[in-house]
Amino acid sequence: MKSTVILRCERSEPRRMQGWSGLRTQRAAAKAGYPLTHPSPSGRGLLVLLLASAALLLITPARADEAFITSQPAEMLSIVDLPTGKVVASLPIPGKPAGIAVDPAGRRAFVTSPDGKALTIIDAATRTVERRVDVGGGPLGVAVHPSGSPAYVADWYRHKIVAVDAASGTITGEVAVGDSPSGLAVTPDGALLLSADRDSDQVSLIDTASLARVATVKVGARPFGVTIDAEGTRAYTANVASDDVSIIDIPARTVVGTVKVGQRPYAVALAQGRAFVTDQYASTVTVFDTATLARLAAIPVGDYPEGIAASRDGTRVYVANWESNTLSVIDSASLKVIADIEVADGPRAFGAFIRRTDP
Amino acid sequence: MEFKLLTAAVAAATLAVTVVGAQAHGPTRQKVSEKIEINAPPEKVWAVVSNFQDGGWIPVVAKTEGTGGNAAGAKRTLTLKNGATVEEEVAKLEPEKMTLMYRIDKVDVAVLPVTNYSSWLVVTPTEGGAKSQVEWRGAFYRGYPNNDPPPELDDQAAINAVTGLYKAGLDGLKKKIEGGS
Repeated sequence: MKSTVILRCERSEPRRMQGWSGLRTQRAAAKAGYPLTHPSPSGRGLLVLLLASAALLLITPARADEAFITSQPAEMLSIVDLPTGKVVASLPIPGKPAGIAVDPAGRRAFVTSPDGKALTIIDAATRTVERRVDVGGGPLGVAVHPSGSPAYVADWYRHKIVAVDAASGTITGEVAVGDSPSGLAVTPDGALLLSADRDSDQVSLIDTASLARVATVKVGARPFGVTIDAEGTRAYTANVASDDVSIIDIPARTVVGTVKVGQRPYAVALAQGRAFVTDQYASTVTVFDTATLARLAAIPVGDYPEGIAASRDGTRVYVANWESNTLSVIDSASLKVIADIEVADGPRAFGAFIRRTDP
Repeated sequence: MEFKLLTAAVAAATLAVTVVGAQAHGPTRQKVSEKIEINAPPEKVWAVVSNFQDGGWIPVVAKTEGTGGNAAGAKRTLTLKNGATVEEEVAKLEPEKMTLMYRIDKVDVAVLPVTNYSSWLVVTPTEGGAKSQVEWRGAFYRGYPNNDPPPELDDQAAINAVTGLYKAGLDGLKKKIEGGS
């Protein structure tokens, strides 16, 4: 796949603005396999081969995974091969794509386009658009059920979540939540959907079987991203206006901790017993210990860090820097940036953007 | 009639966006970048660009008042020639990269139809340091926080206004420095 450059056509009628400039302008925004070639005929050789294969199976998944990065102004999905740090495919997605969710099997990716009022469903392996679903309103956050369907889409303007069948693209249901739902996450057992209701300062808990809201939990001010741990017991919200992270005990439906982070936090990733939080205004990733809640570091990254996700083995954390047009790679042990990967203009990658590539 | 409609829309939007700290906004942040080449060494250009307490090189600015120099957290209030004011704050100063990042804390969308605005001024040497390039970049949301905005407060209006500001500002900077004033 070659990368694609697109030209965005914009309305050319001049507008007269009072105040600052009075100028009328128009802008043309151009803007592994490992071959085992020496199998031994002996039993011992076969054992070695089997052990080697098992070791590869353990090592290979995280190494070969991909990142699906939405670039909002570029209207592009950049697919990054994580072992090599190379953009291996670029897929144009109209309507200012922002939210992303890849299903746990790595089969499909779901991308929201708030300006296009659409959800794009992508075959992740072939990098082709399967369908584009008109969901209306302002689709932003998106999450997918662990089974691979449905996808849940948060409507920022109409304050509800719609469920979309992954295979058919049919809207199968909806549920009203608080104001301007943004981040979504589903528990690993698939039973509960959590919605960060940004302008209601709360998280809604939704029973996925009945698509009914069963609880709300008050959190800090303007929660945006929400992330659930691997056990499905705790959720972490990044609260944009109170500059902190709320930690929710999901079974108890209560906040059990609050941690101060950098200015304008956006989203949270979890790896190796640590939480990694993108601080949009501070241009840092704040790290804290999820057991002690002690702050461990503020790692400088690019400007406007937004989407963040951990590799499946937890050794790396990936950060989309909206202003700097890079994907920063953090070593989650040393807490240092070890690489910056250039991606298309304005990477947002709001959601679960890591795709597993092994079957 | 058109003016009255605009005023009403602006008033509604102003009411909506001034009630919260992290202002309500749409889902799509915008970017603008403008550049200009100036026939002066980068140190000389950076001295003007990094002086946060004098926004006089921006043609529409009549007066700058503020505190804190140009360190992070420094504040200034720009009074424009039409009497409107803009309150701004330094977010990050990186002299080694000749980069100043600042935000608008408060502006009426009738003056600049944006919210949650940040900008960067970056000076880069050209021709071996004999000349300079100045880039002015901005990040912001449109003035109208809800869906289906009126044209005066939509994404394109925001982009046009900021682009106009940057072009005029960079022209003013070039004239001021090359003119020797």
